[in-house]
Amino acid sequence: MIQLNDIRKVYQMGKLPFEALKGIDLTIESGEFVAVMGPSGSGKSTLMNIIGCLDTASSGEYHLDERNVAGLSFDQLSQVRNRKIGFVFQNFNLLPYATSFENVELPLLFNGKSAKQRKERVRELLDKVGLWEWHRHRPTELSGGQQQRIAIARALVNEPPILLADEPTGNLDSNSGREIMEIFQGLWEAGKTVIMVTHDNTVAGYAKRIVRLLDGRVENGRKSA
Amino acid sequence: MKTHLLKLYMSELRNRRKKTALITFAIGWGALSLLLLMSFGRGMSETFSASFKGLGDNILIVYGGQTSKIHQGLPKGRRIRLYPEDVDLLRSRIPEIAEITPESFSRFEMRNGDRAVNRNVNGVNPCFGFMRNQIPQAGGRFVNDLDIDGSRRVVFLGWKVAEELFGDENPVGRRISLQRVPFTVIGVMKRKLQSSAYEGMDSDQVYIPFTTFLNLYSQRFVDRIHIQPEKREQSKWLEAEIRRVLGRKYRFDPKDEYANQIWNTVEGAEMSGKVFKGIEIFLAIIGGLTLLIGAVGVTNLMYAVVKERTREIGVKMALGAKRRHIVYQFLLEAMMIFVKGTMWGGLVAFNIVALVRMLPISYDVEGIAGYLLRPRFSADIFLLFVTVMGILVFMSGIFPALRASRLNPVDALRYE
Repeated sequence: MIQLNDIRKVYQMGKLPFEALKGIDLTIESGEFVAVMGPSGSGKSTLMNIIGCLDTASSGEYHLDERNVAGLSFDQLSQVRNRKIGFVFQNFNLLPYATSFENVELPLLFNGKSAKQRKERVRELLDKVGLWEWHRHRPTELSGGQQQRIAIARALVNEPPILLADEPTGNLDSNSGREIMEIFQGLWEAGKTVIMVTHDNTVAGYAKRIVRLLDGRVENGRKSA
Repeated sequence: MKTHLLKLYMSELRNRRKKTALITFAIGWGALSLLLLMSFGRGMSETFSASFKGLGDNILIVYGGQTSKIHQGLPKGRRIRLYPEDVDLLRSRIPEIAEITPESFSRFEMRNGDRAVNRNVNGVNPCFGFMRNQIPQAGGRFVNDLDIDGSRRVVFLGWKVAEELFGDENPVGRRISLQRVPFTVIGVMKRKLQSSAYEGMDSDQVYIPFTTFLNLYSQRFVDRIHIQPEKREQSKWLEAEIRRVLGRKYRFDPKDEYANQIWNTVEGAEMSGKVFKGIEIFLAIIGGLTLLIGAVGVTNLMYAVVKERTREIGVKMALGAKRRHIVYQFLLEAMMIFVKGTMWGGLVAFNIVALVRMLPISYDVEGIAGYLLRPRFSADIFLLFVTVMGILVFMSGIFPALRASRLNPVDALRYE
């Protein structure tokens, strides 16, 4: 469960402080499928980064599975990201010189899994996204849709309960986009918490709940809390 | 470091080989300069030390002299001469003397048929040979105890004298005449480096048994006594002991250094040893500075690499990389550049040293070539080199690596 209480984020833009988030209260239960929407500059990426423990809030409390994230060190946050959160990015963010296998293997390496465990897990995940036969290929040899599926396999390899996606279909054609969304749908049905940022209404249509942000505030946040 | 991460780092390295080629070359060049300077410095120092030992390793050469102080009512300026029985006196009074031999000389005509030269003939005891590093060439020998007991007329030749009298022929077993007295040649001195001498280089001398010398020539006193202490450290103390014993017999002040002059080769060797050590260190510093330039290059490159791969660092952090994972990666990269550079630098240096050592330099060359062209690769040079390298690798890798690990994941991910 994700619980945000009065989360604020202030950036220093030159000499002027800029408040990207102006007090967010938001609760996301385990197993929800949430789309975060809003115009650009509304703070949705900032919110995602905070939820994903990639960034820390200037003030407010963030509880992830009852644990206050605010007090954690860099390495502890790394561990949270490694075990609890899978990231899917708009531009895939695969390592260009590594094969599909190596890309998917990466989170397992940071988790200290044995070679045997890694091999089994990677194989399982690549099979799941239907790309095992491409495991020796590098990202540049794959289509955008394939790359995003590799990225999803990588996000899931440590079996995190939460999947965070930032515009996951933003760089894909509509067919590939649909495939990706169907995978998300399947994952949600299998019990994952899926949170994604999008401004595409079709994509948001897959979500069971939509959180709308405007000027750093949730327009409809308390609804399901 | 966990080994499973190595695989990842290695595959990353392989992809940047071209970018690091130039800096690897620079490190190799630095390593090459350092190793060559150190090897040549060491060679110089060793040649010097060998040539210094050419006169004799760890010996005191004792002369007579003239008193310079009034002692027991006796005036200054008295002549002090040494006599053969002083050898036995010194040996019995100072048990720390390991070897002792008198040496007297005279300049004579020596002749083989119609080839004749004027050279010093020295009367010595058998221990003189090894005290002065006079090793006989194969098939010959130095003066021995039987020669002494029988006052045999045998002669040991310096190699230049042998060449002058016999050319390419083997002199051993042949006869020569010294001042018209026939002598049998028993050996010829092996070539050796020698940097200091008194009555000319050993190569120009001939040696006969001391007893023979006394019988044939009417000189009563001895010119010099050679003494080797049991331990090198005793040489200074032994000087005082010798003056004390001889001072009592000849009645001069034991502190009078002119009454009884002593050439202490140990002291001289130590002094010049220091000078050459200094030169060696100086050369090593120059080499080290050259290497430092390479190291600065590596640091620079690593900063560029960190910048270039900021986004990747962000991705890895998002996937759960801890600070140390990032640090290791960049340290390893710096290390690999060093290892590769050093390997070829070391290899080239090693081969150059080996090649130069193969040059046919005659061992009696007293000129500059003997000092400059005898480089030497030794274990302690290598050890020092590896240590310096290790420090440089760490220094040049750690700062960029730390910078990389302190990036904020969000900023790193957004970096274009």
